[in-house]
Amino acid sequence: MDFKDIIFKVIILLASVFYYLYALVISKQVKIMNKTLEDEHNKFILFVTSLQVTASLIILIIVLLSIFFL
Amino acid sequence: MENNIKKSSTFYSYCVNPQTKFDTQEDGEKVYLLLRSHPFTQIGWIMSSILFFIILFISNFFLQNFFNPGQIFIINLFFIVIIFSYIWFNILNWYFNVGIITSKRVIDIDFYAVLYKEITNAQLGRIEDTTVKSGGYIESFFDYGSIFVQTAGTEANVEFIDVPHPSDAVQIINKLLSKKHGF
Repeated sequence: MDFKDIIFKVIILLASVFYYLYALVISKQVKIMNKTLEDEHNKFILFVTSLQVTASLIILIIVLLSIFFL
Repeated sequence: MENNIKKSSTFYSYCVNPQTKFDTQEDGEKVYLLLRSHPFTQIGWIMSSILFFIILFISNFFLQNFFNPGQIFIINLFFIVIIFSYIWFNILNWYFNVGIITSKRVIDIDFYAVLYKEITNAQLGRIEDTTVKSGGYIESFFDYGSIFVQTAGTEANVEFIDVPHPSDAVQIINKLLSKKHGF
């Protein structure tokens, strides 16, 4: 494994962790916004936000796997 | 208030008698109008998103020289997710920044960058003046502009920026004011 690969893996690991934290913060905030403004589309917004959190978790897993197998 | 000039229109940015509730709503307080920024004002981030996808597509031709296929897959995955997050962030920003006109007051709910909340409201009895600002080719063509509600004393003024059909919205406020003052 060369130096470039190590740098790449560190960067994608940090990015995926930060993205996961970002998705969690956004989902928390969306819940607050949904309480502030209750509308007919709130369920859809919550659904998409939970999709974002799920996607961020999947990415984190993919990145962790790629660190060992790439 | 049922005989308004405009009915709900412009992609959920001008909703007459919406089924909306908000957290500080009082008993018997009816929401007459819900306003969001006109969809045309969102064109900036929509164009940016398209541009990001194009940049990602083009950059794939150059990435092949520096990274192996597995790394290119990870880079693409990251960028696609980041672009979709950017789109979703802007949709949330647009959707939850609303102006509400109720039977008792005028409320402006703002979420700055999704994280900071600011709610300004003006009781109908405290409203002194309403101003509509709309100018330029685009604003005239798409019929959108800003509404400034001035209140008496030290109470905060309420602003609805770039909302559709501003004249109609002000007409609704004026009708409510007339009703309130018994004219």
